[in-house]
Amino acid sequence: MPRWFARTPSGDPKSRSHLRVGIPRLLNVWSTHQFWWGFLTALGIEGEAIVFSSDTSEDQNRQFGKGRGTVDCCYPVKCGAGHYGELVFGQKRKIDIFFSPMIYTLPSFLRGHVAETLSCPRVMAGPENIKAGFIKEKDVFAENGIRYVSPLVSLGEPLIVPKQLYETLKDVLPGLTLEETRRAVHEGYQTLQDFNERLRAKGREVLEACAREDKPCLLVLARPYHMDPGIGHEIEVDLQVYGYPILWVQYFPVDPDLLGWMFGEDIRAGIVKSPFDISDVWPSSYSSNTNEILWGAKVAARVPWIACVIRLSSYECGMDQPTYTPIQQIVERSGTLFFSFQDLDSTKPAGSVKIRVETIAHYLEKYSTEIIEKKKASMPPGCPLLRDP
Amino acid sequence: MKLVGVDVGSTTVKAVAVEDGRVLWQDYHRHNTKQAEMVLQFLERIESECGLAPGGDRIFFTGSGAGLIGPLVGGKFVQEVVAVAAAVERLHPGVRFVSEIGGEDMKTIFFTSTGNGKGKQVYMQSACSGGTGTFVEKTARKLQIPTEALCQMGYAGYSLHKISSKCGIFAEADSNTLVKTGVPVEEIIASLFEAVVYQNLATLTKGNTPMPEVLLLGGPNLFFKGLQEAWRHHLKNLWAQRRVPLPDGGEPESLIHVPADALYYACLGCVEVGREEAQAVGVYRGTQKLRWWVEEGQHEQKAKEGARGLVGGEGDLSSFTEQYGHSQRNGTAERSDIDRGAPVLVGCDFGSTTAKAVVLSEDKELLFSCYALSKGNPIEDAKALFRQIREAHFRRVGALALTGYGKDLLKDILGSDVAIVETVAHAAAALHVFPDADVICDVGGTDVKIMILRQGTVSDFRLNSQCSSGNGAFLQGVAERYDIPLERYADKAFLAKAMPTLAMGCGVFLQSDIVNQQRKGWSAEEIMASLAAVLPLNVWVYAGQLQNLGAVGRKFVLQGGTHRNLAVVKAQVDFITGKVPDAEIVVHPYSGEAGAIGAALCAFDRWRGGHPTRFRGFDTIEALTYTSTTSEHTVCHWCTCNCKRTFIDVQLPDAKGRTWSKVPIAEGWERVISGNSCPKGLVEDVNEMRVVKAKFEEVKRGYPNVAEMVRKDAFRRPKVAVSP
Repeated sequence: MPRWFARTPSGDPKSRSHLRVGIPRLLNVWSTHQFWWGFLTALGIEGEAIVFSSDTSEDQNRQFGKGRGTVDCCYPVKCGAGHYGELVFGQKRKIDIFFSPMIYTLPSFLRGHVAETLSCPRVMAGPENIKAGFIKEKDVFAENGIRYVSPLVSLGEPLIVPKQLYETLKDVLPGLTLEETRRAVHEGYQTLQDFNERLRAKGREVLEACAREDKPCLLVLARPYHMDPGIGHEIEVDLQVYGYPILWVQYFPVDPDLLGWMFGEDIRAGIVKSPFDISDVWPSSYSSNTNEILWGAKVAARVPWIACVIRLSSYECGMDQPTYTPIQQIVERSGTLFFSFQDLDSTKPAGSVKIRVETIAHYLEKYSTEIIEKKKASMPPGCPLLRDP
Repeated sequence: MKLVGVDVGSTTVKAVAVEDGRVLWQDYHRHNTKQAEMVLQFLERIESECGLAPGGDRIFFTGSGAGLIGPLVGGKFVQEVVAVAAAVERLHPGVRFVSEIGGEDMKTIFFTSTGNGKGKQVYMQSACSGGTGTFVEKTARKLQIPTEALCQMGYAGYSLHKISSKCGIFAEADSNTLVKTGVPVEEIIASLFEAVVYQNLATLTKGNTPMPEVLLLGGPNLFFKGLQEAWRHHLKNLWAQRRVPLPDGGEPESLIHVPADALYYACLGCVEVGREEAQAVGVYRGTQKLRWWVEEGQHEQKAKEGARGLVGGEGDLSSFTEQYGHSQRNGTAERSDIDRGAPVLVGCDFGSTTAKAVVLSEDKELLFSCYALSKGNPIEDAKALFRQIREAHFRRVGALALTGYGKDLLKDILGSDVAIVETVAHAAAALHVFPDADVICDVGGTDVKIMILRQGTVSDFRLNSQCSSGNGAFLQGVAERYDIPLERYADKAFLAKAMPTLAMGCGVFLQSDIVNQQRKGWSAEEIMASLAAVLPLNVWVYAGQLQNLGAVGRKFVLQGGTHRNLAVVKAQVDFITGKVPDAEIVVHPYSGEAGAIGAALCAFDRWRGGHPTRFRGFDTIEALTYTSTTSEHTVCHWCTCNCKRTFIDVQLPDAKGRTWSKVPIAEGWERVISGNSCPKGLVEDVNEMRVVKAKFEEVKRGYPNVAEMVRKDAFRRPKVAVSP
């Protein structure tokens, strides 16, 4: 039985159990989803009453977002109009609270080892941008009796999060106290951590299986929202069906034995201070998602069974731009195949993706055995992936 | 005092003369690229018919040709959108949205009421033909619909078909395909109107809702009845969807206006703007200078404007010819020293317009090549190729490799050993000859591919798929127009000492630009030279979106049939070395056959590994029996395009048949689907999708994807936690 049912929050949660909360499945929500779930249920919102908008799709945009778009070349932000519209107009049971957090810093696993774990400013402020399309001509939220709540929240700094959330929610949730918010925030972090650990364990399973059978797997280096089928267009699935397991850097296993094996030498040589230190390849380590992608490139270079890295990047992404060359070089110098899908936008360029995927599949089939052998020859001894389970 | 407003547009000249708020004179005329001549004619008429006089009366110009012509008669330039907005504000105070579609541009104006007066938001585009009048007219011309008939053709009630809305040339190609499959022209034209409105709404609303009342301006909006209907349909839906409150009892239709003098709004706006100007501004100075321009000035200008020719001088040409003149070898040359009984490698490239085949020896040497123009039936194309190979007396096929669009369709039917994606095939062909290649630029008749190589693999590539800019079809079209065989293109183009500068970008506009330059007096050689010169720009910058060529490498391989043309090669060499001074540029010795050669090379390892070929043999291919079905059961329903596909069923001993199909085939028959416009259509229907999906799901179970777990679990109640 999960904990959050057992514990009774303070205040009068019953007065909140009728509230429906809508959260757009957007941007940073793709890496903080379970935090919000844990947080809101701990505040007495029913699980059934937490509604995420659906995956991004052209239909969603056509039906709910058309004409409310914003002038922004960042599609992951721009598509927000569809998500917002769906939560406002597309619900059988109306939502009461529209919850769209502006996440300033992220609880990245690299936190403490890098300079900062900031969100992309465009992503952080995305909700403001999208909201504009819904209040410009008339206030759509007010018209539909919906409270629009959009706290600025520094999820990278757990100590200040309760105050940030309390300030924006106290007028919306009857009887809310700071202390209750604090407990709920704790619950949120715990829920997110449980989820992340479960997926990392899966990642480890995959790696061990590959190591055992000397089979290749692919690592995707992308931002979390590229997991959204409408943003990343499930390009990695097209490769998966060729028979390759797919790992994502966000859920790469971080068990001490594995980290020690991958980075021990570098630490002992004084190149880096910890396994999560990326200052050797990326000195300005401020952006959370960028840091993770850079770290992923280092990991890909060190694990023999990652025969290929797939890079996904959205059209005109200013955060990704400076990382293209370093990431490509880190990956390719290790002899690992590197392919990138840049300029992803609203439509899946099916024809060109098909050709690209076939191209990648061809080279993987042709070279992966060779790549694994070559990378194994230069890996440090004592690979924990090869130990008997 | 009279006020004259002149709108010098891309296809017509329009003018109005106003005195004391009363319109004295108005007219419009197509100028057929002779803008100055037409303006002169108009002014002479206004002088004689209404007494327009230099010194007192005033004149204002707008439109794409205004900047040049206006000052010659003392006129002042008024920006087009400013002019239109001024006229709309005066004549239609209730209008909130204006769409003005011109021959080669489109604009939208949104009026919003602010505290003190009106705010304006203006969007326009003029770089691409999508969404403009030319987009419709070009295809209509091809379908031989006279303009008068086109104006009367409708939109409402016709079933619509998928037509590329982004590119006029592809729209024309789409329309051709539709014609071939028997779609009535009325439906095609209706679909074109749909595409224009779609393109305007998609690119020029930028988040604003076109609110009532709406004004439709410009020639196409005024003359094409169907276009008006398409606007009405879309706006009505949009308003219903967004619950836009309509003025009391207002029927949506009554809120969309197409004024009878829609054409003259820019001119009227000029007059409006002019009225507010100081008295000394825009005073008419007579036609003298304009006449000089028409008779002499523009010809002098032509000489000044032109760039130097493709070649800088004798030295330049001879060193170029020395290096590149003999880079092409002929794959079809009859050779007598071949042992035609020895096993050979066959590579076939089934493209969308042609199918090509090559025969390679055991030493990877090209022995023979042939091609067949695609007839839309891949089986017939394949038969044509193998017939030629057989006639060249090759008897033993060691391995067969396929590439190109048709590779997956024909793989089992021909019994190929490998089916190779185009990019890999092209890279293999280039790397075989130039192992240190960094970039391959393949320019074919209808497509452009740029492949960037790293670690011996194609790490990145650009295909132009939505826009026809940069492909070689143009050169061929122009050569044909001048009645010059393609082989002599380069000789002709190299003769030009100077050439006009053509604008990079949209192929449709390039066509009209050519006509324009011709009228300016540029000769055939000069135009052919300029066309070759603009090609690299279109290939690398416009279609390939590569600004920094240095970043992709320094060894460039040119492939594809278009690079047989030395004029293009010369332009490419100059362009690339201009960007990358130390670049090494080579042309593949068999540039037209590179795809097929690459495919054959990919089969080499397999063959050497001792794998017996799956090739079914010349006799079997020649004797392939098939039936074609095109009926309501073959229509594709994956999207609203509803492509009318053809099922070609081929008799093959080991085929599984499709008993579940709506057009069932028994065991021993294999199906090839053609006539689909996207890869989705290769899957027959939901039944087959289920079979395909089930297969995928099974693979996916064995090979997990972490993101699928996120998609499945992250936005719902947490699974029971693992930690205590």
